[in-house]
Amino acid sequence: MARFIMRRVALLVVAVAAMSGIVFVMLRILPGDVASAMAGVHASPGRVGALRRQFGLDQPLATQYVDWMTGLMCGDFGLSVTTGRSVSALVGARASVTLPLIAIGLAVALAIGLPLGCAAALSRSPRRRGVYQAIAIVGGSVPALWAGALFMILLGRGVGLIDLFPSQGFGGEGWAAPRQALASLMLPALTVGVIVSAGVMRYTRSALDDLAPSGYIDMAMACGMTRREAMLSTGLRLSAPRLVSVLGLTLAQMITGVMVVENLFALPGLGTGLVVDVGNRDLVAVQGELFMLTVVFLVIGFLVDIMHRVLDPRLGDDREERR
Amino acid sequence: MPEYRGVHGSSGATEDRRRRGRAKRALPDASLDDALNERIRPMRVAGRSGWWGLLAAVIAIGVVVGIAAPWRGSANSGPGLIGAAHRMSIGLKLAPGNLDIRTQSGAALDQILIGNVYEGLVARDGENKVVPGLAESWDSSPDGLVYTFRLHRGMRFSNGHALHADDVAWSINELRARGYQDSEQLEDVSSVTAPDAATVRIALKAPYASLLWVLTGRPGLVFDRRAHYDRATQAVGSGPYTITRYVPNSVITLQADDRYWGARKARTARIDVRYFADDTAAVNALRSGDVQVLAPLTQSLAQPFVDDPAQYEVKVGEGTDKFVLAFNGTGAATSDLRVRQAIRYAIDRRQLIASRGGADAPLGGPIPSLDPGYEDLTGLYPHDPAKAKRLMAETGHDRAHPLRLTLTYAHIYGSELGDQLRSQLRPIGIDLHVEVVEFATWLQDVYTNHDYDLSLVDHNESHDFYLWADPDYYFGYDNPTVQRLYRQASRASNPQDNARILAQAARIVSRDAPADWLFNYRITTATVKGVQGFPVNLNQTLLPLADVTYTPGKE
Repeated sequence: MARFIMRRVALLVVAVAAMSGIVFVMLRILPGDVASAMAGVHASPGRVGALRRQFGLDQPLATQYVDWMTGLMCGDFGLSVTTGRSVSALVGARASVTLPLIAIGLAVALAIGLPLGCAAALSRSPRRRGVYQAIAIVGGSVPALWAGALFMILLGRGVGLIDLFPSQGFGGEGWAAPRQALASLMLPALTVGVIVSAGVMRYTRSALDDLAPSGYIDMAMACGMTRREAMLSTGLRLSAPRLVSVLGLTLAQMITGVMVVENLFALPGLGTGLVVDVGNRDLVAVQGELFMLTVVFLVIGFLVDIMHRVLDPRLGDDREERR
Repeated sequence: MPEYRGVHGSSGATEDRRRRGRAKRALPDASLDDALNERIRPMRVAGRSGWWGLLAAVIAIGVVVGIAAPWRGSANSGPGLIGAAHRMSIGLKLAPGNLDIRTQSGAALDQILIGNVYEGLVARDGENKVVPGLAESWDSSPDGLVYTFRLHRGMRFSNGHALHADDVAWSINELRARGYQDSEQLEDVSSVTAPDAATVRIALKAPYASLLWVLTGRPGLVFDRRAHYDRATQAVGSGPYTITRYVPNSVITLQADDRYWGARKARTARIDVRYFADDTAAVNALRSGDVQVLAPLTQSLAQPFVDDPAQYEVKVGEGTDKFVLAFNGTGAATSDLRVRQAIRYAIDRRQLIASRGGADAPLGGPIPSLDPGYEDLTGLYPHDPAKAKRLMAETGHDRAHPLRLTLTYAHIYGSELGDQLRSQLRPIGIDLHVEVVEFATWLQDVYTNHDYDLSLVDHNESHDFYLWADPDYYFGYDNPTVQRLYRQASRASNPQDNARILAQAARIVSRDAPADWLFNYRITTATVKGVQGFPVNLNQTLLPLADVTYTPGKE
C-alpha cells in the first residue's frame, strides 16, 4: 500500500507539472489581452502599451512562465490583474459558495439516486423496470436551466407557488448570515442534485445488475439471506468501489459543471468567476484557478484510487502477490 | 467442495443469529416453520425501512422549515415601515472589473463611483448638462484659453482629510502625467494650478469647447493624495457615499457618509448594488423583493411589471448609447461607397427596434439627442430595398451572386441582431456571415487589428464625435473635411457655434456612410412602488444615488 501511494504521488506531481505548461500555453493562444480589455474602446495604443508594460505582458513568454512557476513553488498564485486581489483569496471566496453547493447537491443526488437505483435493480417486472429506466433517462436529460427554472416556479420565494427559498443571490451577507446563505443554496442544490441523481441511479442499478447473476449473490442467498437482503448488503458493498469511482468523477465534473446553475441563481461561485476572468483576459487569475482545479481533479482521482484499495482489499493483495 | 462444507458448517450460527434477532423484535409472529417466517420477513423489512423513511422525511422537513421559515416575511420589513427605509437594494447588469477608476475602462465604474464616491470639479445633470460639482462657479477668459474655478468651502474626503484646490490640481496633473484613462481628452490643457486654497486655474493651448463637459467625467475627478488604499478594491473620495463592501461581479455596498461636506447628503443610509449577469435572476430578484430597482431591463422582460402598475413602475430613459454597425473603411469590399450605402438602405431599423420591444429610438447619425450637434438625420438613408438592390447590382452582386461579408460583434448584444441583419441583407445580394465572439476577441480583431468587414458595438459614451475625426480609429474613416470641422468645433468659443459645426460635420459623416446607426438604445428601468429619486436618464453611465429613497407600502 505504501509503495502504491508513493507511486501515485509521483505520478500526481508529474501530471501537475505537465498541466501547468499546457494551461499556460493554451491561455496565451486566446486572442486579446487584459491590457486592451481594461483600456476599452477609447484607448490609444500608447495607453494599452503602458498597461501591458505595467502588467509585465511585454516580457517573453518563457520569463512569464518561470515567474509564475516560481510563485507557485512558494504557494503564491499571484495577483489577479483585474480585481487586484490575490488569486487564492478569489478562489477561496468563490469556493465558499461552490463547495457547499456541491456538497448539498451530492447529498441530494445520493439520497434520491441510491434508493431508486437499488429499487430499479431489485424490481423484476419488466414494466416496473421500464418505469425506472424512464425516470433515469428523463432525469438525466433535463437541462439544468430548465430544472432550475422549474424549481424557481415551484419553490422560489416571491416568484414561486410555494414561498420557500430565495431564487437568486447568495444571501445578503454571505456566510456571515449562515441561515440565509444556506437558504439561498437550497434551490440550486436541489437542481444540481436532481440532475446528478439520475446518473447515480443508473450507475447503481447497472452495478447491482452486473452483480445479480454472480456467485456472490447466490452465495449470500445460500447463507440464508433473501435476494433483497443479499443485493442490498452484499451486492451494494461489492459495487462500492465502482460507485466511488463514479462519484469521484461526478464530483470533479460538478466543480465547473455547476456553472450554469450558479449563473441562473446569480451565485458568485467558481464556475461563473472563471468565465468572467476569461472574458476579462485576466490570465494570471485564470491560470491560477485552472491550476487549482486541476490539482483538485487529480487529488480526487488519487483519493478514489486509495478508496478502492480500502474498499476492496483484494486489489492490494493481488499486486503484492504478483510482486 | 471444501468451501461449501465450510459455509454449511457455519450456517447454524447464522440461523441462530436470525432467530435471536427475530425473537427480540417480534416474538408473537415467530414461527417454528422457517418457510413461513421467510414470507413474513419482506413485510417487516419494508415496515422498518418505512419508519426510517418517515423519520428521514420528518428531519428533512424540519431542516427545510428551519432554514426557510424564520426568514420568510422578514424579507422587506426593515426598520423603516413608517417613512423611508434605511436600506435598499438596486439591481444592475454590468459589473466593474475592479474599482480603480483611473485605469479600468467601462461605463460600469463611472456609473457606480462618479457622484457617489468620487466627485468631480463639475458634474452633469439628467439632461447631460454641466452643473456645479466641487466648484460652485467658474468663468473663462474671453479668448477661451483660461478657466477659473471657485471651489466650495469646507470640503473634505470621507477619511476626514480636507479637500483643497491643490488636491484638484494634483489629481488632474497626475492623470495627465501618468496617462490614466481618458487623459487623451485633456491633450489641449497646458497647465492646472491652484493659486489659492479655493481657486483652480486651467490654462489651455487652444480653445476647447468640451472642456467643462470632459471634466464632469473621469478627467475631473478629485482624489486624496495623502490617502493610502488599494485602488482596485477600495475607493476613498469626497462623495456622499463610501464603499463598505465589494464582492467582485456580485455586490457593492454603499454606506452614506454622515459627515459629507455638501448640502445634498445621501437620503438612504445603505444601498446594496447587486449585479446580475442573468436576466431571469434579475427579474426574480425584483419580483421577490430582494431588489427595489432594476436597470436596465429588456422590454420583453419588463412587460409583466408594466402590466402590474399597482406594485411597479416602469420608465424609459434617454441615453447616449449608439448601436454602431461599422463598415471597415479600409476593407476590400466595404471601401466601396456603393456597398456601404446599399447596406444602409437595406436595413429596416423600425423592424429591429420593434423586435427589441419598441423602446429604442431611431438614430440616423453619429450624434444622439442628448449631445450637442444632434439633428434628426434618419431621412438620409430611409429603408429602401429597391435602391439597395440597384446599388449592389452596380457592384456586380445580386441574390444569385452574393457578396460575402463577415459581421463580428461581442456576445453581450445577443445573437438576434446578427440574425436579423443577415436576413435583411440577403435579398440585396449580401451573404452576411455572423461571428459572435467574446468582447476581448472583438477588441483584438476589430478594435486593435482592424481585421473585419462589419462590426457592431454599443458606443455608449456621450460627446464621442471625435472618434469620427480620427482616421486611425477602427472605423477607418478618413475625411479631412470632417476632421477640420471637428477641430473648428472644438475651438469654438461658445456652445452654440460648437453645436452648429458639429451638426454640420455629423451630417457629412452620415452621408459618407462609414457605418449605420441602428438605433439609440434607451434604458428601461423598473422600480417597485415607493422608490423615489432614482435617475432614469443616462443611468448606465451616471447614477447619482444621493436622492434615492424607498418607502415600503403597507401590505
